[in-house]
Amino acid sequence: MSEIRQDLERRSSRLLRWYPKDWRSRYGDEFAELLVAEMADRPRSWRRSADVAWSGLLARLTSAGLTDHAIEPGDQVRASLASLWCALGVFLIFGVAMWSQLTIGWRWSPPDTRSTYAAMLLMSGAMLLFCVLALMAAIPIAGCILARVGRGESRGLLRPLLLLLVGAVFLTIGSRHFGNGWPGTGGHPWAQQGLVPGGVAAFMWASTLSVTSYWAHPHALAAFPTAELAWMAASPVAIVCEMVGAAKIVRRADLSRRVLRYEASLARVAAFGMVAFLVGSCSWVIDGHSGPNTLFHTGAIDVAGLVLMSVALAVAERALRRARHGGLALMQR
Amino acid sequence: MTRVAKPEHTPEQEQVSPEALAAFGRYAGPATLILSSLADGAKHGYALTKDIEAFAGVRLAPGTLYEALSRLEGQGLIEALESNDRRRPYQLTAVGAAALRAHLDAQRHVADLGLRRLARSWGVV
Repeated sequence: MSEIRQDLERRSSRLLRWYPKDWRSRYGDEFAELLVAEMADRPRSWRRSADVAWSGLLARLTSAGLTDHAIEPGDQVRASLASLWCALGVFLIFGVAMWSQLTIGWRWSPPDTRSTYAAMLLMSGAMLLFCVLALMAAIPIAGCILARVGRGESRGLLRPLLLLLVGAVFLTIGSRHFGNGWPGTGGHPWAQQGLVPGGVAAFMWASTLSVTSYWAHPHALAAFPTAELAWMAASPVAIVCEMVGAAKIVRRADLSRRVLRYEASLARVAAFGMVAFLVGSCSWVIDGHSGPNTLFHTGAIDVAGLVLMSVALAVAERALRRARHGGLALMQR
Repeated sequence: MTRVAKPEHTPEQEQVSPEALAAFGRYAGPATLILSSLADGAKHGYALTKDIEAFAGVRLAPGTLYEALSRLEGQGLIEALESNDRRRPYQLTAVGAAALRAHLDAQRHVADLGLRRLARSWGVV
């Protein structure tokens, strides 16, 4: 093989990385051949590179069940539900960070504005709803997984299960450890005050300790204990492990049509919960009242959180629409 | 006199509407060009690019070409053929031929109407 051909193949395989694995396994070889031929005609073209990058990203969105590109209805529902789960995960990272700040604030002193009070009620109600939905969603999936393991068909599930388990154990142990360091968890007069038990508030606060504006202030960050800094850096990795593990399980668990439709209906309720939570957090941030002893102070990190939560909600809504589309196609079969 | 046999009309073909390609959104244009190119025989990616460039003066970028190809294949309008080398040729299916026909008929109707109105109001023939 000539040196020029080798160089062209190297460049084409680099461009192919924009595409997801399943797309590459189907079209990779022929697409690489086309790219080599194109590059032989026109060695350099930024338009071609941009076109490949854009199409690769589109293929990734399609693989995530987020585009109108028609795929097999069962795959569509699975992919859309997995994407919705990821969007909900991102939403909750920032949402829990805000909510735990408010719950902890309330343990010291109740809010003195109606909007903060209403925000807390809405956000706490939505959090309760998410917990119930998570349980309702997990039971049939766990049943499917157990059935598959029982039949000896656990291939493809072990790694995501391990990822989910390691992430959950790490996050639970770390959040318990750092949450227990917070004084409001017990033994203080203020411990009985507030909407949410102190232990829950502290656990949630510790699990999202990485969502902080301290990252923009390295000097202040340097004064933190090393263990806490390590936790702030490692806990997002554990959260990502959980999200990826759960998303892969949803895609690979071979869920029946009935379970898929059930999960899609739960997802619809979860989307309503996201809207309620976002309305609550918006009313708190827009109100902007710091409250007693500035316990409910809002900052740039909260505004950034709201923006990211809105983006996550938009992705979830898109995924939900595609899941419903796939679900309807499944019912017509 | 020899009578030319009409191609068999399948129920699938009857279901195809002119909107079949319109559902491709921004890929409707590339999809029409690809189907038109495949109308006279199977072609692989690079041959498609060259043929389309020759008859339409448009060079489809590789990403756009394969995005449209995968959509067309997903809709059953084209199908991939077996190949001994890495270049895989594609051919039109019966449904694809009917969809192209319906789409081109609708476009011809618009073109005819526009030309008639131009001739009537502007004297452009």
